Amino acid sequence: MSESDSPVVLIVEDEPDVAETYKLWLQSDYTVRLGKSGDEGLELLDDQVDVVLLDRMMPGLSGDEVLTEIRERELGCRVAMVTAVEPDFDILEMGFDAYLSKPIRSEQLHDTVANLLERSEYDSMLQEYYALVEKKATLEATKSSAELADNEKYGSLTEQIDEMRDGLDDTLGGIEDDDDFIATLRGLDNDDEE
Amino acid sequence: MYDLSSVLDFDALADVRPGSSILVSGPAMTGKRDIVYDMLADGAAEGDGAVVVTTNKKAENVVEEFRDRVPEFQGTQLRVVDCRGEDNPDPELSDGVSVHQVPSPGDLTGIGIGITNSLEGLHDSGRRRGRMALLSLSTMLTYTDKKTVFKFCHVLSSRLDTAGYIGVFTIDSEAHDKQTIQVIKQAFDGLIEIQAAEGGGREARVLGLANEPTDWKQI
Repeated sequence: MSESDSPVVLIVEDEPDVAETYKLWLQSDYTVRLGKSGDEGLELLDDQVDVVLLDRMMPGLSGDEVLTEIRERELGCRVAMVTAVEPDFDILEMGFDAYLSKPIRSEQLHDTVANLLERSEYDSMLQEYYALVEKKATLEATKSSAELADNEKYGSLTEQIDEMRDGLDDTLGGIEDDDDFIATLRGLDNDDEE
Repeated sequence: MYDLSSVLDFDALADVRPGSSILVSGPAMTGKRDIVYDMLADGAAEGDGAVVVTTNKKAENVVEEFRDRVPEFQGTQLRVVDCRGEDNPDPELSDGVSVHQVPSPGDLTGIGIGITNSLEGLHDSGRRRGRMALLSLSTMLTYTDKKTVFKFCHVLSSRLDTAGYIGVFTIDSEAHDKQTIQVIKQAFDGLIEIQAAEGGGREARVLGLANEPTDWKQI
């Protein structure tokens, strides 16, 4: 697949063997970019990148500093922190979307990347859902119920809204997981600040 | 199923499916708050857990509302998410109720973490059913826009659905423009509308929880 149609994963990792292993695991499903340091990672980062796997402990720019820069650029990509030890603080409150502690297995890496992509999909579906709801509300606020019943556009909007709601319920298991819940709300807070 | 019909006598409220979120909408001073507290207290009397997200009243006022209604309720049954952000955390609450402080009603991540902790705490203390209230969305709408509040309500409703809780949310129907109310309504499974009745008193109707909207009924 070309870079335009498969999701792009950027790996920022200073140990070449580890980085190559991750790349090997992911390259059949994703377009993979490798950055050997925080600085190099930031150079490879653009709006094509969907998920960043960020090693926390690197010489030069640390994972935390890279994260700050990513958020400042408002690129909308999801960032998973990779650590040697399980963090004893709330990584979601710090602004990371997920964490992986070393050693990472292939399946775990795939699951995390897939979950982060699904969260991005949920966010864009929710945005689309809202746009439909707002259109419907505008019609409801300006027309009588009799007028609405005859309005073709209103009928089709109502159908689309029902479909979109079902789609949202099927994505992320309908927000089954607390991390998904908090990360989605943080996305709303960030949007609101823009 | 959750039976809310002892608070408001409608058949449509007798078998509310776990996971339902209901908006209670009406002008100021029509008793929305009391209806919501009655619904949570009714559950607490039966052993359900309760989570109250408050944007304008102190946690101790919330505890009082429960104590007045269900004198025997246990502190471990109630969790309060206080997002007034106005003063220091309340001193230890005498009834053993856990309070989670959030800096502002516009801090959705903070509110989410408070709700998550509350649900976990209630689950750990053995509560398998529960009711959550948020009073009120009108305050949140002064901190953030209707798009964000709508999305927040949708995501929160999904989370409550997973937990098997029901959610009741209040909004002042006269504090916002018509379109805002129409937007927010659509984030909910059901709607309870309250208004002043002609000739005095109040009346209510229920929409969305049964096939047809109910008629207006004096309450």
